Formats: sequence, structure tokens, C-alpha cells
Amino acid sequence: MPDRFRSLFRADTGQGQRTRGNTVFWILSSTAAALVLMGWLLPWFVDAYSAGAGFSPQDALISPPTGVGTILIYVLAVTMVILVASPLVEPLARLRGTTFGRRADRIRLIAALVGFALTVVIWFLVSVIQEEPLFGSFGPGTYTDSAVWLTMYGYALAALVYGARPWVVGRQTLAFGIAVLPFGIFLPLMFHQAPDFLDWAAGSLAIYMLLALGLNVVVGFAGLLDLGYAAFFAIGAYACASFASPTHNIHWPLWILIFLGAAIASLFGAVLGAPTLRLRGDYLAIVTLGFGEIIPDLATNNVFNLTGGPNGISGIDQPKFWFLNFSTSPRWYYWSLLLVSLVVIVLLRNIERSRVGRAWVALREDEVAAASTGINTTTTKLLAFAIGASVSGLAGAFYGSIVSIVSPDDFSFSVSIAVLSIIVLGGIGNIAGVILGSFILTFVIFWVLPNMNEWSTTLSQTVHVPGLAGIDFSSYTYIIYGLALILMMLLRPGGLLPSRARQIELESGGESESLAAVQGVA
Amino acid sequence: MALLELAHVSKRFGGLLAVSDVSFNLDRGEILSMIGPNGAGKTTAFNCVTGLFPITSGSITLDGEPISGLPPHRITKLGIARTFQNIRLFAFMTAVDNVMVGAHWWMKERVWDGAFRTGRARREERSVEQRALELLDLLGLSRYAGSYAREMPYGLQRRLEIARALATQPRLLLLDEPAAGLNTQEKKELMQLIARLRDEGLTILLIEHDMRLVMEVSHRIVVLDHGEKIAEGSPADVRTNPRVIEAYLGTGASNEMQSA
Repeated sequence: MPDRFRSLFRADTGQGQRTRGNTVFWILSSTAAALVLMGWLLPWFVDAYSAGAGFSPQDALISPPTGVGTILIYVLAVTMVILVASPLVEPLARLRGTTFGRRADRIRLIAALVGFALTVVIWFLVSVIQEEPLFGSFGPGTYTDSAVWLTMYGYALAALVYGARPWVVGRQTLAFGIAVLPFGIFLPLMFHQAPDFLDWAAGSLAIYMLLALGLNVVVGFAGLLDLGYAAFFAIGAYACASFASPTHNIHWPLWILIFLGAAIASLFGAVLGAPTLRLRGDYLAIVTLGFGEIIPDLATNNVFNLTGGPNGISGIDQPKFWFLNFSTSPRWYYWSLLLVSLVVIVLLRNIERSRVGRAWVALREDEVAAASTGINTTTTKLLAFAIGASVSGLAGAFYGSIVSIVSPDDFSFSVSIAVLSIIVLGGIGNIAGVILGSFILTFVIFWVLPNMNEWSTTLSQTVHVPGLAGIDFSSYTYIIYGLALILMMLLRPGGLLPSRARQIELESGGESESLAAVQGVA
Repeated sequence: MALLELAHVSKRFGGLLAVSDVSFNLDRGEILSMIGPNGAGKTTAFNCVTGLFPITSGSITLDGEPISGLPPHRITKLGIARTFQNIRLFAFMTAVDNVMVGAHWWMKERVWDGAFRTGRARREERSVEQRALELLDLLGLSRYAGSYAREMPYGLQRRLEIARALATQPRLLLLDEPAAGLNTQEKKELMQLIARLRDEGLTILLIEHDMRLVMEVSHRIVVLDHGEKIAEGSPADVRTNPRVIEAYLGTGASNEMQSA
């Protein structure tokens, strides 16, 4: 066996990498577990009131499977339990000083492969032969497709992480990409029967991921705390709204407007940046906070008759390319956003590793030394503001097009806080961490919380606890942000996936002083 | 003509006159040391030259061009590089990245080159990285190229600062107490390094408390006390200057001076 392949099965011993790699491993194995479990819970997940099918425990209760299906479904349940338990048990075991050896991984790998095969068999029985009585009754409102997709994906992911653990731990970024990208691409197909979920993926996840990627440039790379980031989002959205609606009777296509939104927002980014150049830390945060409040206020006051006042601008065009009509099919928004996000991620990653990216980090580490080493602190900071804002403006243009109506309320302080929470949760300064953070937080805030009301009502009927019904979970949004921030600061100050530098920095800490303070002009 | 010229430079902080009417010239290829007791205004003078502090009065010229009032990065571009008394590295960048930051101002790569990784950007990145590695090698830091500055031993951090300063392609190098905290062996290596830089034509302005080092490498010495220049001359002159011995060294230490 060539060395390259042998190394695939050998544990990585590089320090530093190892801890991060283990985190990635844990995240991926948990994701696999969640997906496998989700296949079972999917009918609840997408529609609490459906009499769904698939592998739902509800169905097992309502109409227990019979015949050969019984064996299949119970074997499948065993594989599910093994894979769901693994990521929970492993950290506990490590706390007690024991570790799972290769044998445990091999058992899990077998469970994953068996589960995958069984899912294929069941899908074949259900969809192709339509052997309905095996798994309960199906109607038009069932979610078998999504359940099968998710479960198969979960099993495949489990097979990857348990079958090639050293490789996942060693090449974490690549493993993360391989694991996540197909899910991103196939998501609309998996959830084609759940348009709400697609709306979430395009309108919340992708938009907030772009916002977080942009803010990460300002806060993560250049170390400039910006609390008014929603302002640039608003600017992008209003730019799109103005040029693609009956309000001013201009109808430009979206793919021009995303560049226009980015350009206008970056201009504003530089304009905001200019007066804050001498500020750092708390002072900078307060000034940006003010800017974040001013922009929605200007929009409310219908400044220059451009923004439509408190009602905002409505009737924003839905893009159309040939036969693709975005308004009837959110999946095209989703795929466009996925493509744009990938391009943004690649470009930001390149910039991070280039001359400018180095200058940002130098500025963050020690502004005085950076200036004395030949870095123009003014242009470098403005560049960070402008690039960060341009990504936000891009997201704003898409947002305006998706929701087709923008109003000042959409760009309140809570948006800035949400974006900041995402990057703190995921890992400040680390693009992979920011992506992960946007998945987790938007899922909780914009999917779980709004649906929680229905779920708890259904659950209250199932288990007969009336108190569970009628709780308004969506009012708990801020508690989630607060909890996320507090828990992260206490337990993992670098975020779920800390950047390598941040990880070491946390052991020593200390903020550098500003150039202006040293010069005595601030 | 002098490379660097300070004429009647003063720097006032509120009621404190940290540098008072100091004038001296620095010729090309020369090593000039600034000595004086703690608080004499040496580092303040450095900060004035490198643009960190705006001066209160007087003028500073580099090659006949006035540089007082310019921002620090412009002064770096004109050819003045420095190190700091309390090491100011980019602690969480690797050693090679620290040095590459020194190349920032003369690199031609623009933002879009970096974003799209154009051939030009990649070529330049490679060649700059190569030069950074050569600089690290020159200073005996190759082993630590991939380590974070913070993880390096103290003495090597001082050398990394010099490497970063050299990457800016300076004509004039300002070293602020480069020997502070170094052991005898490291000091010896530092002395060799300074001599080598001098041989390559670099002009050096040095602040240092280690008299053995100062006396050995300097062509001339400027002595500051309470912000004022109290003496200037060759090491031999300064060593025997009674005002210097009185103000700076004290009578007890003069013996050490004589034997140095």
C-alpha cells in the first residue's frame, strides 16, 4: 500500500491541528447523527400536523410495520441509535479518561454502511414497488423523498467520518468541504416538498451567511468592531429596491443590481470608515452603532423621497431568465445564492492570504508596529470597511429581491447583533467557522424558534401536557443571542472553530493600543 | 551631506519637555549611538524621527528632505526602518509573515490581484516569501519560519524585529535597545550582525545601554540627559568626557568605562 494511502488510516499527531481536527470530526459526526435522526423525525420537522410517513416514529405508533418491513425497520433503528449515540458518548468518555479505539469506529462504520443499504432497500420498496403496507399508508402529503435523502446523506457522512477518522482529523478543512458542499447543492432536491425550508435556506441562511462573511472581514481580519453592520445591508437592499420596482419606474435585472448594491454599500463603508479611523475598540463600536441607527432612520424619514418612508418600497421585481421564474421557485434563489456565496468565500479566502490580508492582521495585532513597517493604516482600514460593506450590500440586493418589499424595520439593531453573534459563535476570523456559525444560529433563530410554537402544541397533545401549548417561542430570540454569546465567551472564547492564531492568543490575550493614542491625537 | 539631520528638535508633552533643542547629524554608512540615563528622551527622539510623535519645534530632514509631520508609513517608504524597545512584533503571525509585512509597501500586488490570485500576484508572493526566508536565514531564524512570533524565544524575537525592519529595504535603521535582555552570546552575535549591516552600507542609529557594545560598534556617540544633548563625539571622547561621566555614568561606573 502506498504511503499516501497508509497515512489515511494513521492518526495525525501534529499538535494544534489535532484539537481543531477533533472539533471538525465531532461536528461532522454530530451532523451525521442529526441527519439520520432527522429522517425519522422529518414529518414532524417539516409539518407538525402531517400524518407523514417515511421512518417516522409517529407512523410506527399509528400503524406498526408488518412482515419483512418489521425486521428492516428495527435493524435500521439499531443503526440509527448507534450513530446518534456516538457523538454524545465520545466526549463523555474522554472526560472520564477512556477513549474509543478502532474497534468502535469499525462497528460504527458497519452500522453506517448497513443503514445506507437498508435505506436504499426501503426506498426501493416504498417508491418503486410501492409496497405501501410495509411502512404505513402514504398520501400526497408525505415526505418519504426528503427522509430518504437525509438519511442516506447522514449514513454516507457517518461512513466517511468513522471509516477515515485520521484523514478527517488531519485534513479538516477539506473534509469539512467534502461533507458540506453536496448537502448545500442538493438541499433544494431533498426538501422539494418543503418550500418553507427552502425559503429559510435562501432567505435566512444564505443571506446571513453572506452578511457574516462580510462582517468577518471587518471584525475578524482587521479587528475593527462594527456594531452598525446592518446599515450596509439596508443600503444594498434599498439600492436593489430603487432600481427594480415601480417606485421609480426603473427595472434593472438582479444580476446587475447585486454589483450595484455591493458598489454603493462599499462606498458607504468607506464614508463611515473615514471618521472612525482614529478610533478603536469601544469607541469605534459606539460610532458604528450610531451609524447603524442613522440609516434606518433616514429611510423612515423618506430622505430625498427615495426610500418610501416607514412603508418602505414594495413590488420589487422577481428575476426571470428565459424559462426560470424565480418567483415561482425559491430553489433558483437558493442556487444563485449558493453560487454567489461560494464565489465570495473563495475571493475572501484569497484576499485573506494576500498582501492586504496580511496588512489587516498586522493592523489588528499592533497598529503602531504596522504603521512603522510601512502599512498605510488609513487606506488599509478603509479597504476593510469597504470590502466588508460590499458583501453586505450584495446580500442586501438579494434580500430585497427575495422578500420583494423592504422597509426600515428589516434593518434594525437586531440584524447587526445576529450577524455579530454568528461570527462569535462560529469563530472570529475563520471563514469555515463563520459558515458553521451561520448554519447553527440561523437554524435556531429563523427555523426552530418560529416552528417551535407548532411543535410544542403537537407535543402537548401527544403527551397530554397542556402547558406546552401556546408558548410564544419567537419572543425568545434575544435570549438565544445572549446565551450564545455568554456561553461562547465562557466556554470557547475563540468560537466553535477558532482561527489558529486566535486559539493561541486566548492563552495570553491583550489588546494593542491605537496609533492615534500613541501619537496623542485621539 | 548628512543622511539624517535633526536641527533644534523639541518635543513637549504637556509640562514635560522630553526632547529639548537636540541637534545632530548622521552620515551615510555611519553607526551613531544615542546613550543616556533612563528617561533622557532617547526613545522619544526615535519616535519623532519615525513619525510616531509630531515634533513641537525644530526640523528633521532625510537626505535634505523634511520628514517631520509625515505619517509613519511614509517615513518608512523614504527609507527609515526601526525596531522597538519593548518588542512589537505581530505576535500571532508567523515569523515569515512578519517579515513579509515589511515588504508590504513595495509589493505591487493590488487587492484584486490577491482576490483573483492572478499570475502576477502568485509570482510576487512567491518571490517575496523567498526573500523573507532568505532574510530569516541571514539572521539565523530559519528554524522558526513557521512559528508564531509569540512562540519564539525572546532573543530571537529581537532578531525577528530586525529582519522585519530590513524587509522594508531601509537606508537608515533605528535600533532601540536591541541588546536588552540578551545573554552574552546573543549580544556577541548582535554585534557581529550590526557590523555586517554596516559593511553592507546601512546607516544605523542605535539606542543602547550596553556600553561594551556601544563602544565597540559606534563611530560616534550622542549623549542625552533630561532631553538635552550634553555631549557628542567619538567613543574615546565620550568615554572621557567629565560631563558624561558625571551625568550619566556616575563616578563608580567610570572605571568600567575605562576598561571597556
